[in-house]
Amino acid sequence: MSTSPETPYFAMRQLHKHFGGINAVEDLSVELQRGELVGLIGPNGSGKTTTINLVAGALKPDKGSITLDGTNMTGMPAYTFARGGVARTFQVPRLFNRMTVMENLIVPALTDAKTSRKQAERRGHEVLAFLRLEHLARALARTLSGGQQKLLELGRAFMLRPSLLLLDEPFAGVHPKLLEQIIEHIRSLNADGYTIVLVDHNLDAVRSVVRRTLVMARGRKIADGASDEVMQDPAVIRAYTGTRRSARTPSAESLD
Amino acid sequence: MTNRISFSHGLQALLLAAALLAPLIAGPYWIHVGALAWYYAMLASSWSLLAGYAGQFSFAQVAFAAFGGYASALLRLRLGLPLILAVAAAVIMAMILGALMGALVLRLSGPYLALFTLATAEIFRLILVAEEDVTRGSLGLQVPGLFSGDSDLPYYYLGLSLVVLTLLAMNGLLFTRIGLFLRAIREDESAAQASGVNTTLHKIVVFVVTSGIAALAGAYYGHFVGILTPNMVILPEMGLVIAMAVIGGIESLPGAVVGAVIVYGLSEMLRDYGEWRFVLLGLVLILVQRFAQNGLFPFLERHFDRPMPLPSPTRNALDIEGEHVNLS
Amino acid sequence: MTYFMLLTVNGLVIGLIYALMAAGLTLVFSVLKVVNFGHGSFYMLGGYAAYYAIGLLGVPPLVGVFIAMVALFLFGVAIEWLALQPMYTGKVERKDEYAIIVTFGLTILLTNLALVVFGPFSKSPPAFLQGTFIAGPLILPYDRLIAAAVAVVLLVALAWFLARTSLGQALDAVSQSRESAAVIGINPKRMYTVAFGLGSALAGGAGALIAPIFALSPNMGELPGVQAFIIIVLGGMGSVSGSIIGGILLGVVQGLGVGFLPDPNRALAYTQAFGALLLIFVLLVRPTGLFGRAHTRLE
Repeated sequence: MSTSPETPYFAMRQLHKHFGGINAVEDLSVELQRGELVGLIGPNGSGKTTTINLVAGALKPDKGSITLDGTNMTGMPAYTFARGGVARTFQVPRLFNRMTVMENLIVPALTDAKTSRKQAERRGHEVLAFLRLEHLARALARTLSGGQQKLLELGRAFMLRPSLLLLDEPFAGVHPKLLEQIIEHIRSLNADGYTIVLVDHNLDAVRSVVRRTLVMARGRKIADGASDEVMQDPAVIRAYTGTRRSARTPSAESLD
Repeated sequence: MTNRISFSHGLQALLLAAALLAPLIAGPYWIHVGALAWYYAMLASSWSLLAGYAGQFSFAQVAFAAFGGYASALLRLRLGLPLILAVAAAVIMAMILGALMGALVLRLSGPYLALFTLATAEIFRLILVAEEDVTRGSLGLQVPGLFSGDSDLPYYYLGLSLVVLTLLAMNGLLFTRIGLFLRAIREDESAAQASGVNTTLHKIVVFVVTSGIAALAGAYYGHFVGILTPNMVILPEMGLVIAMAVIGGIESLPGAVVGAVIVYGLSEMLRDYGEWRFVLLGLVLILVQRFAQNGLFPFLERHFDRPMPLPSPTRNALDIEGEHVNLS
Repeated sequence: MTYFMLLTVNGLVIGLIYALMAAGLTLVFSVLKVVNFGHGSFYMLGGYAAYYAIGLLGVPPLVGVFIAMVALFLFGVAIEWLALQPMYTGKVERKDEYAIIVTFGLTILLTNLALVVFGPFSKSPPAFLQGTFIAGPLILPYDRLIAAAVAVVLLVALAWFLARTSLGQALDAVSQSRESAAVIGINPKRMYTVAFGLGSALAGGAGALIAPIFALSPNMGELPGVQAFIIIVLGGMGSVSGSIIGGILLGVVQGLGVGFLPDPNRALAYTQAFGALLLIFVLLVRPTGLFGRAHTRLE
């Protein structure tokens, strides 16, 4: 199915997810057009990672629906989402630790029965070249440095030929030079037509890449719009800095 | 992984040669022990694939073996089916049950899966005990032998060839992309799913393969020993299989075979010491888990593995047996 | 009618012992997130501990039970420290697997050690109180009555301990969230030790209580062990009240089952299978048991 401006490429409608007594995500509705590059920010505990998990199919929503390119994906297992073009990275890289870097990369490619091993490895080499990690092809994933692991995860997501890329804290714990490299990768991927959702706490980095920002707090979406406007929104500022006794301790950070 | 394969292959060839030649120097008692060890070797290596590679800690492996034994025997005795057909039918039925089991335990993890499979095995055992009319219960089901004559030698070589065949089959599977997916599932199931691996299908596939092998082993056992009893399925039997796989190497199929031979051989050698053998087994099991979690075979391999001519990026201070640097 | 009532009462007695054992197992699981596959052997050791305490120290049988519980508490602490601590100090990969195998190895070790040290023949510790309690149609040997009463006392004490004492609440806190408990100043590692010791003590107590009724043997822990696993799944892995209810229910149903199936061989086999069947059914429908919280992975 093709998408027209009326039909968004990706849509979540009234998503609800609770754990025990806590509403991790409440009444969340978002629409994305093809090729958008969107940031998702919010204080700790606002439900960002839960949202990513829902969008990637790793969690099933209690209520609501998820539609990708016209297909209703609600309730499908995570691998169906992955095969359907949704790739994601994890907050802390989850690599196949005792497999080599190349093996890590070819796993997603080989899930397509029509792809041969040779083809998968060739593509793996291309991705490694893109990430400037060719020399590590035969290294075990767990021997890589933190930054290299993040890049490898990005590469592995990329091997799926995704149309929607979900990046969960790609900038976390990364030194400035690598940060630039990652930003560069994200920009060029978006230029190639990938739809990308970016979750991170590094607001400057996020702002330098995305044009549209979504803000969540306490499981709800509190802002959605152009990055500059959203960052000035008083509700957003309050979410990041407010406490219950804001009159007394205006500078205290919410531990939420 | 690639640096180790040539060493493993050499060692495996050596061990195979030793196994082929052993009956020349061993007496009938040890040939009998060897023939029994092959039964355990098939169970241990297939369990290794199930638990070590696919991460499914099943306690039902011996139940599938007993199923294979009883089914093939009953099909021969009651329905008069020829041997090959009876065994084939038993194996296929076991594979279907294995698929069912795999599907049922999909949502279960860790101890829940262990308990579920344990309960299933227990129920199967109790059915074997209860339904005396069919299975002769605790008295045991007599099974006609395969070869004329008293010697265990033909059984020994039959068992050995079955071990080799099943190992080749499982290794063949592991070299395909399915093997890659299984390892990925084992490393991190969520990440595997996020990479598009159909974890559901692959877990079921492993159950199918390993229950088929277990049933084959059980059929072999029944026809060799000549009698099948529900005691095949008691918990200590499953414990023995687990111990063999863990000690030999839970992620190494040949390691599990070696583990089976060593554990079973030792338990026979130390027969005079009575139950102390199993005290030792329990202790070794705990120690191996604690200090060489991947089993003794890979542990030794690592220590005899000489550095390759090219500087290998895998040789690294972090890559030390037993020390997992948790980067997450 | 009286027959079924007697079956029920006897089932209730057994059920209370099961409940005691299952409560210990579930406590260990809820705090440490580990299923102690060696739990049955602790039950067995408790029986022997009481037996030797009574025989060697000449104490009255009920004191023997108490001594057995203390002994098993200390033993549990030692085992936890030796075998399970490595899981929390990062020395072990694949914690779930480690826990299953190590506790399983423990049961192999202990059961066979008991076989060599105590011998395979069953022993009978002296009765708590000779004679039989008779009240109308109800006939119950005093041993069973006392065992049931002590079990009830222990279970009530356990419930009170968990709900009302600070140590008990600390255990509950750790069972809910290791990190949150640490944040408020509770030392999770110490709680693991306490929980494991307590769980072992409860199993030991159960064994000591049942010994005069059914006699001791090194294998006596196998079947009750399996029953305990069944109960904690039924009752909810991590719910002490659930395991108490589950234990009682299972005991009563198994007791009654014998009366419903005429063929003794089938009856015995299928009443034992009943628990296992129930477990399978429950796990299929609710993978976390009837009352349990979701199983949080160790890693």
